[in-house]
Amino acid sequence: MEQSEGVIALKGVSKVFRDFWLRPTVKAVEGLDLSVAKGEVFALLGPNGSGKSTTIKMILGLMAPSGGEVRLFGRKPDSAVARSRLGYLPELSYLHPYLTARETLMYYAGLCNLDRRTAKERTAQLLAMVGLESVAGRPVGGFSKGMARRIALACSLIGKPELLILDEPTSGLDPVSTSEVKSLVKTLSAGGMTILMTSHLLGDAQDVCDRYAILNFGRKVAEGDLKTLGTSLQDVFLSKVGVGRGFDVAGFLK
Amino acid sequence: MRRFLSIVKTTALEALSEPLALLLTVSAMTFAALVPAMHYHQFGESSRMARDAGFSALFMFGAAYSIFMTVKGVRREIESGTISMAFAHGVSRRAFFLSKAAGSYAAFLVFAFTLIPLSLTAVNGAEIGGRVAMSTGSVARMWGPSLSIAVAAIVASLFAGAVADRFFRCRFVPSASLCALAISVAGMFYRPDFREIARLAPAFAALLMPPAVFTLVAAASAFRWKANAAAGISVLVFALWLPLLGNYYLSDALSHGGKVSWLYAAASLAALLPLAAAAAIAGIWTLEGKDITGER
Repeated sequence: MEQSEGVIALKGVSKVFRDFWLRPTVKAVEGLDLSVAKGEVFALLGPNGSGKSTTIKMILGLMAPSGGEVRLFGRKPDSAVARSRLGYLPELSYLHPYLTARETLMYYAGLCNLDRRTAKERTAQLLAMVGLESVAGRPVGGFSKGMARRIALACSLIGKPELLILDEPTSGLDPVSTSEVKSLVKTLSAGGMTILMTSHLLGDAQDVCDRYAILNFGRKVAEGDLKTLGTSLQDVFLSKVGVGRGFDVAGFLK
Repeated sequence: MRRFLSIVKTTALEALSEPLALLLTVSAMTFAALVPAMHYHQFGESSRMARDAGFSALFMFGAAYSIFMTVKGVRREIESGTISMAFAHGVSRRAFFLSKAAGSYAAFLVFAFTLIPLSLTAVNGAEIGGRVAMSTGSVARMWGPSLSIAVAAIVASLFAGAVADRFFRCRFVPSASLCALAISVAGMFYRPDFREIARLAPAFAALLMPPAVFTLVAAASAFRWKANAAAGISVLVFALWLPLLGNYYLSDALSHGGKVSWLYAAASLAALLPLAAAAAIAGIWTLEGKDITGER
């Protein structure tokens, strides 16, 4: 049963990784509460190892939380019905190397249950949108990082999802492509799509997102929009996460 | 259903794109065509060696094909992270497991239906050749038809794969595999003996079943363990199977005009179903409880 608690709701979620003997090794996420409303563009920020990707994997149902509750469209994330309403762009572009760009999109169209005609139409539209029409017949295993990123983005959109989850969407893209992705996020958001993204690039997040949560060592250290958080996202980030102590090069160079 | 078919098709296509798949197919074809050419082993029946070689190639190479292609396919999904993309698009874990196994088995069927017609041609060729040898005394002519077709299938398929890759931007390995299948099927119609084909059909059908179990065991193991361990466990299951040596029992039953009934094939299916079901349940249970972390 769908509830009116938002598109994504996390209550007291924690994730502990264990070794072969079930001994706890890493506490990746601890007591995380989070809510993303319909139509919102929400950014999950934090340094490497802060638990962003683990949180996204729990939302996607790829990992079971060790504690707390995750709801996606009011359902448990292992519900195929809930997951069929989302699109996902992972941090690394996960593609089948032997498939061509067109076959890749047709494959994901099949996973989204699209009929053959709609799948073909949407494949053509998306190939044009990401500028890969001329290489549609080439296996994606031979694509550059930027091209793979573009085709992965097209894959995440082929089902016209209600919720789009973007893990580091501008990673590996040149400045022009980065600007195109940001403009795409704005356009999709204006069309009513809910977007959850993670980014290391605070400027990119600030340009496109409505609300932010900052994670550090698996805990949420700040949440809100720019008004509630302060004047600059960079300042908030540094005050909450701390300035890195840098590499101690002097000792090495002695 | 569309999701299921989409994964089955992609899995089969990926397996057929693996260079190892073509290598195993070509090796099995060579084995099936060349082993009977050792004409001094005739068991008093000119076509028996061809039949034995065909059954053995299907059983042994078929097991290797189904195990290695399944393990490779599943591990690639996990290690490259494409499994998380599939789950994120609403595919249930149960459907994913079953469709991956079905896709791998579909690729095995392409292998099997390349090899079976070639084996039937070899058996037929041996019968014709046997009569020729008796009348002319030339045993060298005995294996002519099957050898020619096998060599043509191997050489022409590699050539066709290269042409498709060079001039039409089609992938080499699947093009070559499909060409081998086409030539092998076409070769079966060289002076066909449909009565003999009908006599051998239940035996070949029975040999298509064990790879279904190997596929499911390999898939279940590969979702749980890394590639080497998964392949090792699947090969162990195959080794436990070896004392049954179904190919030789079948060959014995068919010797000197004997028959294998369709009832035998149905009984094999009934006997294998619980094993297949157990492997499928173990695989689904493993995958349902697995955290997808993008392990490498």
